Amino acid sequence: MNSVLSSILSWDFIASGIRVTTPILLAALGALIAELAGTPNIALEGTMLFSAFVGVIISGFTQSLWLSVLGALLTGIIMSSILAYFSLKLKTDIIMAAIALNIFASGGTIYALYLLTGDKGSSASLKSLVLPNVDIPILKDIPILGNILSGHHILTYVAIILVFLVQYMLYRTPLGLRIRSVGESPDAARSVGISVFKTQYIALIMSGMLASLGGIFLSMGYVSWFARDMTSGRGFIALAAQALGGTSAYGVALGSLLFGFSEALSFSLQFLNIPYEVTQSMPFIITVGALAFYAWNKAKNKKNRDI
Amino acid sequence: MKSTKRYEVYRTAIAIGIALLLGYVLILITVFPKGDMAFFDKLKSAIKDANDAFRTFLISPILKHRRGHWVFNLRGFIQWINESVPIMITGLAVSLIFTAKHFNIGAEGQLFLGAAIATGAAIYFPSIPIITPIVVILIASLVGAGWSAIPGYLKSKWNASEVVTSLMLNYVALYMGLFIIKTFLRDPNAGQLVSLKFSDSATLFLLNTRYRWHSGILIALGMSFALWFVMKKTTWGYKVRLIGNNKHFAYHSGINTQKTFFQVHLLSGAIAGTAGIIELLGYYGRFVWLYSPGYGWDGIIIATLARNNPIYVPIAALFLSYIRVGAKTMGRYTNIPPEMVSILQATIILLVTAEAFLSQMRQKAIEKEARSTEEAIAGGDINE
Repeated sequence: MNSVLSSILSWDFIASGIRVTTPILLAALGALIAELAGTPNIALEGTMLFSAFVGVIISGFTQSLWLSVLGALLTGIIMSSILAYFSLKLKTDIIMAAIALNIFASGGTIYALYLLTGDKGSSASLKSLVLPNVDIPILKDIPILGNILSGHHILTYVAIILVFLVQYMLYRTPLGLRIRSVGESPDAARSVGISVFKTQYIALIMSGMLASLGGIFLSMGYVSWFARDMTSGRGFIALAAQALGGTSAYGVALGSLLFGFSEALSFSLQFLNIPYEVTQSMPFIITVGALAFYAWNKAKNKKNRDI
Repeated sequence: MKSTKRYEVYRTAIAIGIALLLGYVLILITVFPKGDMAFFDKLKSAIKDANDAFRTFLISPILKHRRGHWVFNLRGFIQWINESVPIMITGLAVSLIFTAKHFNIGAEGQLFLGAAIATGAAIYFPSIPIITPIVVILIASLVGAGWSAIPGYLKSKWNASEVVTSLMLNYVALYMGLFIIKTFLRDPNAGQLVSLKFSDSATLFLLNTRYRWHSGILIALGMSFALWFVMKKTTWGYKVRLIGNNKHFAYHSGINTQKTFFQVHLLSGAIAGTAGIIELLGYYGRFVWLYSPGYGWDGIIIATLARNNPIYVPIAALFLSYIRVGAKTMGRYTNIPPEMVSILQATIILLVTAEAFLSQMRQKAIEKEARSTEEAIAGGDINE
């Protein structure tokens, strides 16, 4: 028991928790922006997957990190544009359009992978690059603090900065106000001259770009290959983390941390003979519980029954 | 209603046509030869290969080439029908929930957990012909209903988003199902993680033993008809459709919307819960899945294609399994990945659900219909 406790309280555990949290957090921030604009983005999963794929392919063929990050972001923009075009212009239900995109990404990446590398399982034959870890100069020499704060992946730092940026954008800028008002009541927003289409389009684009950063973290963060369906539901987990965290970016960050750390915990607890399945399903049960609690609380406060 | 209905048919046909065209282009790209030939020669050889592959894709589930003749492909045909069974059932479950305009996308978890728990019954329940499979399927159905009741209750009672809760529960069901199989029902003599074999009388009646054509298709068709009857011929079905069209109107005309929503989730879960075990009872004879088979997501495609009408669900399911079996066969003879089909599926969903796609055509259809009604009222006096 002691050894398990010490393994949980170790730097390795914290580092692995942060590592698992990063892609979830990036996508969850995307989920937040889209949710506030009134256009829930279920296509995060597919967007992450396709960006992870494009990042690896471009880095494999060009050996350029900048190009691959750019390509992945562009993929996010294109996926979101398709989602936006179909849901906002052609009036497809946004959930249906997103499901279509997820199906497209899951099969499309395998098809393109085969076309480009001749392999249907993974891109291991392709020599691809990895985005680096970052040591923060002075900070890393401070004894305990340095261990916690320095040496993480560059995208982890980007994610942390983005938490504040997204919060600032949503609650301190005119764009954020427009996004929130469009999500709250499109008709009211339209009546004061806000273009609902343009605002929701921008929100979806941002959401897609955040998801693609999460995607390349998976394929270019610690490993240098793409494997079929490698996101394995992280886009959906991000939705859960957002639902758990509410409407502020800080809340969403906490929600993502819960998912990240309970996944890290499930690795540690395996040594205690606690089955993998139990610990893996824990965060999902917590989310359903939390959603139920929120909804119950809201219904109680509202007092009038929703139909 | 007639000309708008015809417009829906045209639109579906055009969506499928575009998807198939896209399929042809994808095949063409895959077989495009590398090496240093003249571009025109490459194109010519690619078109020839693509035509062959595309023909296999389109006809292999029913016909095969043998000694220069096209003969009926019994094996492909049975595979086609068998594969349509589970997705037909999830298609029904999803079409019901979508009719009420709720997005419970938990069919995947419902069928997985239903199959895992019912596997226990299929192994240990006393062997009584006919009774055993019915009991096993009913157990799966109850589990599915119970699992669907969670998001259903949270949504109808407290208005919690059923999209997120049902998605989360899919993962919980997957892990729980695997845990049950691994801990209690595992066959220790099998090389991989599978359950013990079902008892002999638990398996479904076979229509063809050589290729294991099981009677699941009859159950699925029966369910389609039953659900069609419930939706179109009973008060309850009318209530559900009314709620789907306008829940506020339904509420204010005295329908207990909360209760009806909850019942819809229950029934949908009860249907979805059987999808997995029926395939296992009919085809595999034991629990074989290590991850979600994806039938819940297929159900969404099918319900979309069928416009949520239970009587069209079998057609949509047969269509989907047809192109899948075709793609798999093509994948065996050529090197084209069968996953290509998901690109076609996505295209079809997007085009079929896009309200404004071909909206001009719809406008014309509505105008034409209005004109003909007007003519009927005026007794044919109005010409233009």
